[in-house]
Amino acid sequence: MADQIIMAFINGILLGGVLALLAFGLNLIFGVVKIIHMAYGQFVMLGFYLIYSFNAIFHIPLVPAMLLGIAAMALLGVLTQLLLINPLLNAPRLNQLLALASLIIVLENLAMIIWGADYRGIPLTLPIINIGEVFIRSSYLIAFIGAIVVLGLLYLFLHRTYLGLAIRATAQDLEMAEGMGINPRIVYYVTLAAGGALTGVVAAFFVPIYTVHPHFGSSFTIMAFVIVVFGGMGNLLGGFISAFIIGVATSVAAVLYTNELADILALILFVLVMLVRPQGLLGVRA
Amino acid sequence: MNGKLGLKHIVLGLVFLAILLFPLVWRSQYVIHIVTLVLLWSFVATAWSFMARFGIVSLGHGVFLGIGAYIPILLFNFGGLSPWIGMVVAIVAAVMMSMILGYPCFRFGLVGDYFALVTLAMAEVGSLVVVAYREYTGGSLGLTLKSSNRSWIDFQFDDKRAYYYIAMIFLLLALYLWRRIGKSKIQMALTAIGESELAAASLGVNVIKYKMLITMLSAGLTAMGGVLYGQYVTYICPETVSGVSVSLSVCFKAILGGMFDMLGPFIGTAIMVTLEEYIRISLGTKFSGVSEIIFGSAILVLIIFLPRGIFGSLKDLMVKKKHIERA
Amino acid sequence: MLKVDGIDIFYGEFRALEAVSLKVEAGQTVIVVGPNGAGKSTLLRGISGLQRTRKGAVYFHDERIDTLRAYRIVEKGISLVPEGGRAFPYLSVEDNLRAGAYNRNARGYAKEGFEQIYDLFPILAKRRRQMAGSLSGGERQMLAIARSLMSKPKLILLDEPSLGLAPLVVDLVFEFVQKMKKEGYSILLVEQNANRALRIADYAYLVESGKLVFEGNRQDFDKNPYIKTAYLGL
Repeated sequence: MADQIIMAFINGILLGGVLALLAFGLNLIFGVVKIIHMAYGQFVMLGFYLIYSFNAIFHIPLVPAMLLGIAAMALLGVLTQLLLINPLLNAPRLNQLLALASLIIVLENLAMIIWGADYRGIPLTLPIINIGEVFIRSSYLIAFIGAIVVLGLLYLFLHRTYLGLAIRATAQDLEMAEGMGINPRIVYYVTLAAGGALTGVVAAFFVPIYTVHPHFGSSFTIMAFVIVVFGGMGNLLGGFISAFIIGVATSVAAVLYTNELADILALILFVLVMLVRPQGLLGVRA
Repeated sequence: MNGKLGLKHIVLGLVFLAILLFPLVWRSQYVIHIVTLVLLWSFVATAWSFMARFGIVSLGHGVFLGIGAYIPILLFNFGGLSPWIGMVVAIVAAVMMSMILGYPCFRFGLVGDYFALVTLAMAEVGSLVVVAYREYTGGSLGLTLKSSNRSWIDFQFDDKRAYYYIAMIFLLLALYLWRRIGKSKIQMALTAIGESELAAASLGVNVIKYKMLITMLSAGLTAMGGVLYGQYVTYICPETVSGVSVSLSVCFKAILGGMFDMLGPFIGTAIMVTLEEYIRISLGTKFSGVSEIIFGSAILVLIIFLPRGIFGSLKDLMVKKKHIERA
Repeated sequence: MLKVDGIDIFYGEFRALEAVSLKVEAGQTVIVVGPNGAGKSTLLRGISGLQRTRKGAVYFHDERIDTLRAYRIVEKGISLVPEGGRAFPYLSVEDNLRAGAYNRNARGYAKEGFEQIYDLFPILAKRRRQMAGSLSGGERQMLAIARSLMSKPKLILLDEPSLGLAPLVVDLVFEFVQKMKKEGYSILLVEQNANRALRIADYAYLVESGKLVFEGNRQDFDKNPYIKTAYLGL
């Protein structure tokens, strides 16, 4: 049992890395555009399906297929901004929420029609690494390392480039950012492209680990929200830390109880955090 | 509208009469079934709108619907308890659930987006709980109502028209309550709260009390709808009665027609249900999901261009016309 | 250089400015005074593009700018230092300054800009890595002005730069405005503190309830009995 818990802990950390990417994307979009991307998990699902299609149907080799998938999702992000978010920038919050929520329904059913309800995936066998009594899947390890690298690159982008500076400024004070000569529309497009691309990256890391089906997105959307709220909505560092905490917590809980109870616990935790400290761990009261 | 008999009243009266007499005259079981569903879901959509029209948006009404659907069936299947009593239990459970959720949210000032996210989480929890206790609920495979011959006592009727009339009565109840609330203090209080909670509170309005009232009412009514659904369709599963998609589906129905108007949800539901059936028939089950895509996209477009829904926008147009005529 | 020609600005149904006209010549320091809520800030927001104008026009170097978005107006050479400075709270002092140099006219000069700014404001040099939110009110105001200078402006719009600051700091601010004037910047300054502002003015306008009610140079203002009592406390 102790081994199982240790493994669950390690897996939690490894997956936590990928979840951190998810949290980053959501936080970035929320922080800059001030919109909650309700269908973020469904974007991941779509990214997965696209990579699958490029590889298994169009016979594009795996890595280019992944890159193509990431690019496609970046494009989808830009389209979402153009067609959905731009018209609703000044609309009441409810309308924004519902519009993005309807995207959930549209994407899931689109997936159902195009790819069917069966599980789809790319069969990959990657080696398993043994350390004493514990074994680690290399697919998890690659995902973790990849995620950390991507996060590092994102950090550098945000803090060492002018565009990154523009994004950070826009998130903090839209008017003043414009007052610096920053075009907010461009910032929004870049943000949504980055957010979209991240879902493609997450999907790419998930390919050797999971199989996809039309409801694949739901669990990740909810999980992503739990992480993001827990860490403080819009707070990138908070999301990062929270991803690991939640990743480990759900992983260990799934071993100690059942999968569903672990999810239920995560959700109840979410509700509690919302009530007790809605700004999350590192968030600031608006 | 000083009690004068306008065109509007005549039309409404005719529609009501049509709905009342319809099942006695029409032969097709199928059409009666469709209208029953319309009445049922309008009832639920109206119940949801009780909250939403005042700015309290729940994306998780599936949890109340699920409580209403599962509790009476479980109590009947496993305990032989009459679903009428099951209905009372379900309503109480739903109301209590709404209190447990609502009070902390309102007390700690959780509004708007955050509140919606919490409700979404609760809908998901509802689904997961059903799946987790699959020995009783059948999990994702669903649950079937045991049949019985004790018709009225067990809320089962051979003549499906009974369900039709029960659904109609439920809807009339909801509309009646809408009317009553519209004339009461609750309406004024909640409208003020909707505009500015802070301002309302400083005027002495007990914000929490009124929000709780409307939430509990909405939850109880929704649960009633769930009960009727379970008893009528006799097969329920997490997909159809709890969880995120049905919650959003209810929202859509109300918004399509316009949730600020009493008959908005009814109209929105009528459109959605009939179109869904039509698509289902013409495209067959191979394309199940097409109707959802169409509606999802339609709602998207609607939210962008017609934020007050179809009925609401029509009303706005009429008001504008009146102003132009007067001027 | 700057010509505002009979503009109206509305907030919804409410008319905040009515038929306001003013001029700023190159190198001038022009002051707009008036009571709280008169519409002075609105005027600056309108010129800088953060607020739409209805009726009338705004010209900068004979080019019409009131139809441009704010970020384009910055490129033309107008920079706004809003009330309170509004430095980016979660960016470091250095990043704030760098943001100031974002527009394409200024970006190439960022390096020199930093040197000049750190020369002029040794405090900012000392605190360059600190988050702007942790600076004192006066330091933040200085940062906002410095940030504005980084954008290589030709005209600087200052909105109540002394508001909420301790008297000693207020002195520093006005001293600095004098320095900028000597450097050749054109300045449009909005102030409630008419006394101080008029001392450094080449020309001044008085705005009350959204309307321009008086204009002139320092002597004109000193001689006017109504203004003397209402605004100059004499």
